[in-house]
Amino acid sequence: MGSSEELFEKISLTLSSLEGSEKLKDLIHEALAHKIQITDIIEKGLRKGLEEVGKRYEAGEYFLSELLFSASMMNDAMDVLTPYFKGVEFKRKGTIVLGTVKGDIHDIGKNIFKMFAQASGFEVHDLGVDVDTQKFIEKLKDTKAEILALSALLTTTRNEMKVIIDALVQNGIRDKVKVLLGGNAVDNKFAEEIGADAAAGDAVEGVEICKEWAGEKQ
Amino acid sequence: MTPRERINAVIHFRKPDMLPWIENFYDETVVKWFREGLHADEITVIEWVISARDGLLLLNWPAVLGFDPYSYFGCQNLFGCYVPIDVGPIPRFKRKIIRENEHYVEMMTETGAVAKRFKSAKYTWYNMPMFVSFPVKDKKTWEEYKKRLNPEDPRRYPKDWHRDDYIKVFENYHAGNTVLTFTGFYGFGAQLMGIENFNVLYYKDRELMEDMAKHWEYFTIGTIKDAVETLKDRIDMIYWWEDMAEKHGPCISPKIFKEVFLPHYKNVTNFLKKNNIDRILVDSDGNINPILDLFVEAGLTGLWPLEVGSGMNAIDIRKRYGNKFFLIGNLDKREIVKGGESMMREIDSKVPVLKELGGYIPCLDHLVPVEFTFERFKEYCQYLKKYL
Repeated sequence: MGSSEELFEKISLTLSSLEGSEKLKDLIHEALAHKIQITDIIEKGLRKGLEEVGKRYEAGEYFLSELLFSASMMNDAMDVLTPYFKGVEFKRKGTIVLGTVKGDIHDIGKNIFKMFAQASGFEVHDLGVDVDTQKFIEKLKDTKAEILALSALLTTTRNEMKVIIDALVQNGIRDKVKVLLGGNAVDNKFAEEIGADAAAGDAVEGVEICKEWAGEKQ
Repeated sequence: MTPRERINAVIHFRKPDMLPWIENFYDETVVKWFREGLHADEITVIEWVISARDGLLLLNWPAVLGFDPYSYFGCQNLFGCYVPIDVGPIPRFKRKIIRENEHYVEMMTETGAVAKRFKSAKYTWYNMPMFVSFPVKDKKTWEEYKKRLNPEDPRRYPKDWHRDDYIKVFENYHAGNTVLTFTGFYGFGAQLMGIENFNVLYYKDRELMEDMAKHWEYFTIGTIKDAVETLKDRIDMIYWWEDMAEKHGPCISPKIFKEVFLPHYKNVTNFLKKNNIDRILVDSDGNINPILDLFVEAGLTGLWPLEVGSGMNAIDIRKRYGNKFFLIGNLDKREIVKGGESMMREIDSKVPVLKELGGYIPCLDHLVPVEFTFERFKEYCQYLKKYL
């Protein structure tokens, strides 16, 4: 049995080295048995591990397979932790409203972004796929989210993103929210054309942009 | 030279009398052009069909029957004349509606996947289905599915498969290239298990992934064997569908490719090469740069469509890899569709350079999308033709 710090390191390393869910779950159980705080397990162990996965992905050492497998390991770890969440206060980096735009029912990229954003400390309200503009507006008003993350796979449906941005202006909330675009059909040039704040090349980059907006990065 | 001779000259790095030009059209784009004033002399019928390319990609496509955009615009189809063998599951699954509401319909496809799509949409292809479940989930379901992938099934070849007749057909065809198409080791696995499931299989059940690749090699070689040994280099080009990359890079890492797929790629390409077929084109969208060294090792020799938006650059590949790959595509559809200066700049910056370097056929960096108006596409045709 090691110290808490050693255990966090093991959790982080097991996740970032993709050693599998069984080993990771064993380490989570060990941490729980030692009454280590859940927030510490997540932030000092899991989040650190997932950030390392993101770094390796951006560096071209990991690819989509590794990203998806780390997400699957993370989900398995969270399944172990969820029953202990009651009464736990999580520090949030910010709030994101997320969805695939109307006319598009694809969600692989969106789901990876969601998982990495949650793991990075964002509260994410996922509205799903084929989402009406009005639903985005209502959720932004309800949650007072600082970030709206829109996903579109298709070049035809990406035009819906402009409709949503126009609706933000009409509802007087454009200056209260940063708009991030994601998906195969978008890039920064397109983001600029339609008045979004940024486009992410992939889910990991998207989360990094959100962190910058949340003021976490230097 | 005939169109076929021109294509063959380029893909073998010889000089053609004029540069061939290849495009592939979404049928939906052509349907839209009819509404914009395209006058076809004879339009017999437009039908909505389920297309069974390789039996493994089932999508709702509107098929324009009776109009040939290739001869109309003066380009060649990437697929001139197919070897008509069936490399899909036999028997097919029974196509049926699983559930529906006022917005969506979920349908069992003939490959056994369940696809969710809009009931009505402005563009059917562009609102392509989201696959919600897949026939292969684990070892047990794979063993079941394998039974449908029997290379010995006589239904894989057409009833009129008389070797001498087909040899004549393939010798006498000149309107374009002759092609044998099949699905690759990543493409088939992702189709049968879904991208999310197949991509993590290496980590969750490597043995299953290896067995799938092993069987796919056995199935592919077994199925194409008679056609390949009969037609030999009357087959100009292999079209090997993978779609194995996204913007960031390959969906699977080079490490997985090397450990799991590479030996099987080599076995298939060696079999083809033994039969004098060495022009092997991989179709993969996305950024395949990190995996190109392994493509060379695998015996693959051609690349399409070289998506600019994903960071692919034909001139750069030619410089890095010499004549190891013939190249088709890489004209940025996003720039070409704008017309005018943007379109001309894109063509001017690539086509003359690549024409000089050889082994390159101009083509958009994917099928012609529905964003093209008829007028814009004609403008592109006219400008490109000055370089042919």
